[in-house]
Amino acid sequence: MTDPAIEMNGLTKQFDDVTAVDSVDLTVESGEIFGFLGPNGAGKSTTINVLLDFVKPTSGTASMLGLDVSDERKTLHNRIGVVPEDYGLYDRLSGRRHVKLTAELKDADDNPDELLDRVGLSRDDANRPAGEYSTGMSQRLALATALVGAPDLLILDEPTSGLDPNGARELRNLIREENERGVTVFFSSHILEQVEAVADRVGIMNEGELAAVDSIDRLRQQLDTGAQVTLSVDREPERNLGDLPNVRDVDVVDGTVRGTCLEPAAKLRFIDRVREVTTVTDVRIEESSLEDLFASYTGEDTTDSQAEPVVSGGVA
Amino acid sequence: MSVRTIARKDLADASRSKTLWAVTVVVLLSTAGITGLLAATSGMAAGEVFTLSFQLAVTTLPIVALILAKGAITAERESGSLRVLLSLPPSRRDILVGKLLGRTALMLVATLAGGLATGLVVLTFLGGTVGSLASFIGFLGLMSVAFVAIGVGISAGSASDSRATAVAVGAYMILVALWNLIQGAIQYGAVELGLMTSGSEPAWLQLIGLFPPNRAADAAYRATVEGQFFGTDPFASVWLPVLVLLAWLFVPVTAGYLRFRDAQIG
Repeated sequence: MTDPAIEMNGLTKQFDDVTAVDSVDLTVESGEIFGFLGPNGAGKSTTINVLLDFVKPTSGTASMLGLDVSDERKTLHNRIGVVPEDYGLYDRLSGRRHVKLTAELKDADDNPDELLDRVGLSRDDANRPAGEYSTGMSQRLALATALVGAPDLLILDEPTSGLDPNGARELRNLIREENERGVTVFFSSHILEQVEAVADRVGIMNEGELAAVDSIDRLRQQLDTGAQVTLSVDREPERNLGDLPNVRDVDVVDGTVRGTCLEPAAKLRFIDRVREVTTVTDVRIEESSLEDLFASYTGEDTTDSQAEPVVSGGVA
Repeated sequence: MSVRTIARKDLADASRSKTLWAVTVVVLLSTAGITGLLAATSGMAAGEVFTLSFQLAVTTLPIVALILAKGAITAERESGSLRVLLSLPPSRRDILVGKLLGRTALMLVATLAGGLATGLVVLTFLGGTVGSLASFIGFLGLMSVAFVAIGVGISAGSASDSRATAVAVGAYMILVALWNLIQGAIQYGAVELGLMTSGSEPAWLQLIGLFPPNRAADAAYRATVEGQFFGTDPFASVWLPVLVLLAWLFVPVTAGYLRFRDAQIG
């Protein structure tokens, strides 16, 4: 029971001279909803491929539910449910046949209709060949097959791709339901909002390494990214605004003055100071977005501002 | 358990492929049709027609079997359904054996149907024994299954479907279409190198002649017709070609399995 759901120690995978996964240590506790984030090529897929024994690691070990992912894969695969990335269905077989096939291979006695209902696939659709399904329907069917055999651990690789907003919400509800039943959920995504809405903890992969592991709130605090305050002014200030405590990166751009404020009181001080030198016509405040958070770990720049810095000594 | 489930799934899935049926029907109908034409018009005896029809079938059935089998693993690998299967309990060996059984069953159904149709045409027009029909169908079936095993082995050893197709076509060209030329070239080379005298037929050269499954099946069929099961000349007996056919059943698919077992499914 107390075995971690997933445990990786020094997991490394090299393809020729490319290190796809570089000594990753990660423990996902039983009962967690864990979001696995990272841009394409960060090593997420390779990590999951090692967990599923699709590829063998170059070094290091990986186990799930206390079972080695390779040596004990048969026992292990009876207890997990998976929606792999780029999964395929049998175009000529019906949705229901897919679920029945999975149940046979897992030696489970699930009622296919019940599972298809849970993922919101109608009886009519379940009887059609999967080749006629839309991406969203295929995704629902894949999810239904993952739920076969009441798995202890669900591994969902990019489960929201192809789902409309409604479908994505249903998926989140399903993840929560399964989690309440005691199922550990490990899912990868590049859609940060999906992860934020449901994950207890996240891990961020970048260039083969695990850049951060924590709850999103804690990551945000650690990052200390603050809030961006943008003030529209009727004329740009002609003199230096000077140093203000907890205000950073002050810019003057296209009739606006911007600054990053690290605490609430700093926003007021910043606004007051700007009003001393010019007239403020509008105020806009943005809390740091998840994208900024993500970018700070993955080195991807999401803003493309070309700010002109306020040089000390004032704008000439 | 999972092997049987996968075999049944594969049979259900592959047998719904219209292309596969179209190719099969065209090949089998042409074989049966040409045989029927021979039987009705040529005035040959039943045995001769069977022999000619057998030679026709050993050139056409291999390509059907290879086409039917070459996508067994690669098509699933490309569609991504292999990733789903591998996320489930069955091992790669279970999947491969299940696939082999499924495709074999499909090919056997096609061969039996075609063989029976052809045989009944001959029996109706010319008479002949049920025994000759049995060996006709039996050896065609064995050869077809050998080519299915070759095709599944190729599929297991290939990373992409287009590669599997290319290798399967290559295998057909070498084993069926060009074997006479290859054998001739080897013979010529051996004479040039002084390994044998011109016109002689050493055992190793006869073995080369017997090497492809289609040649082995033909030899086995002829030997059966002549009643030579365990004769003094192994090349004119049934047992040696049957051994060759059995080797084709296991060797390529085992080699394919070893590659598939160690493949990185990315």
